[in-house]
Amino acid sequence: MKDTQLLTQAIVDMEEDKALAMTRQLLESKTNAMDVFTAYQDAMAEVGRRFEKGIYFIPELVMSGDMMKTAMEIIKPYLDESGAGTVEKKTGRILIATVEGDIHDIGKNIISTLMTLNGFEVRDLGVDVPIDRIISEAKAFNAQIIGLSGLLTLAFDPMKNVVERLEQEGSRDSVKVIIGGGQMDDQICRYVGADAFVTDAVAGISLCKSWISGSI
Amino acid sequence: MIIIGEKINGTRKMVAKAIQDRDTAFIRQLAEEQAKAGSTYIDINAGTPPAREPGDLVWLLENVQAACDLPVCLDSANPEALKACLEIADKTPLINSVSGEKTRIDGVLPLALKYRTNLILLALDDAQGIPETSDGRMDIIQRLVDLALDGGLTQDQLLIDPLVTAISTGTENAVIAFETIRKIKVAFPMVHITSGLSNISFGMPLRKIINRTFLAMCISAGMDSAIADPCDKDLTGTLLAAEMLMGKDRYCMNFNKAYRSGRIGA
Repeated sequence: MKDTQLLTQAIVDMEEDKALAMTRQLLESKTNAMDVFTAYQDAMAEVGRRFEKGIYFIPELVMSGDMMKTAMEIIKPYLDESGAGTVEKKTGRILIATVEGDIHDIGKNIISTLMTLNGFEVRDLGVDVPIDRIISEAKAFNAQIIGLSGLLTLAFDPMKNVVERLEQEGSRDSVKVIIGGGQMDDQICRYVGADAFVTDAVAGISLCKSWISGSI
Repeated sequence: MIIIGEKINGTRKMVAKAIQDRDTAFIRQLAEEQAKAGSTYIDINAGTPPAREPGDLVWLLENVQAACDLPVCLDSANPEALKACLEIADKTPLINSVSGEKTRIDGVLPLALKYRTNLILLALDDAQGIPETSDGRMDIIQRLVDLALDGGLTQDQLLIDPLVTAISTGTENAVIAFETIRKIKVAFPMVHITSGLSNISFGMPLRKIINRTFLAMCISAGMDSAIADPCDKDLTGTLLAAEMLMGKDRYCMNFNKAYRSGRIGA
């Protein structure tokens, strides 16, 4: 097995100390920084697959995310040095928020993490986000997809208002709106006027990917 | 122990369908079985859009009242729905809930005060969401308890929810809940402390084991209520065992009677 594959293996196995030691060692022995970075991306993809299969759980997502963050700090100077500033093209731009009136963030955080792992450029606005802010940030970020999260019935009206505001401003056609939460269904989706609803993160990712590959 | 039976919740698919179809028998069955299993309150949550919620919640209330003698826990933040139910409730309900959020303080708290209901208080607000420290949560709780007492409720009418966040996203999250429970007990000796149990295990395997163990540890910290499924024999067994081990079950009679009646055990 190649050294970078061993690194991928260590990350996937949640061997934090080993992975970080290998990362330093590879970089010091002049392995291309981009290859080291790719080893992490491969590992993230595998962690995501294991999560989808129910072998891994949220702690593994959190831990691998933290490992990647730490590793990026180590890798960055080497990347700049090699001039490889272009770190793989992002899949698409998605803005994510739990709408105002609702503070549930577990589902939103999972989708944020998984979207990032799947190559999306993610802007996560947090919870209880006012409609005005969602609209203005979506514009500034040039979001291709707006993902609205909520668990409470109280979340339905703010979601509907976001869609209405997009219509009023004439930008409804240039962005997809997806709503997510444990109790979303077809009826609520129609009420809100969203393009789609999902009740689990994996379905959300495959849908967003298909939108992007069909170029929205 | 105050057990709030959680099964009539419109965010569960079967219940949503029963509400939609006005399936009276299904709802009454859920109320009856939870009453038999030892509930103190039957929680009702319609989980429907705001415009439909008042009618749906009233319908749930009528069916629970027809099926058993227990008071309900009105699980809604919608003032219209709460008001409609408060006008026809035949026993003093518990309202779930008031938090530090402005909409709850303006919309829900006045109803609890006017109808002198029992009331669940949540340790979160607009500015901070759920604070990450027990001290942050205590600040909000102090404010909410003051508002409720000033409005004429007694400590005994209040159930405080310290709020539980998933252990999968923060290793300290259960410890923060235990600390908050202990601090509430010191600050307000007569209030009750309640909590949902399933948040703790979100994103983890073997959730039921985590939930039960967490329940026992909360009880040892001073919790005396839970929002739970009383028909879950393993959970109820853990609950009764923990209360007994804390010296709150004279001659162990609650535990032994529950065993003999088949409420707990295999």
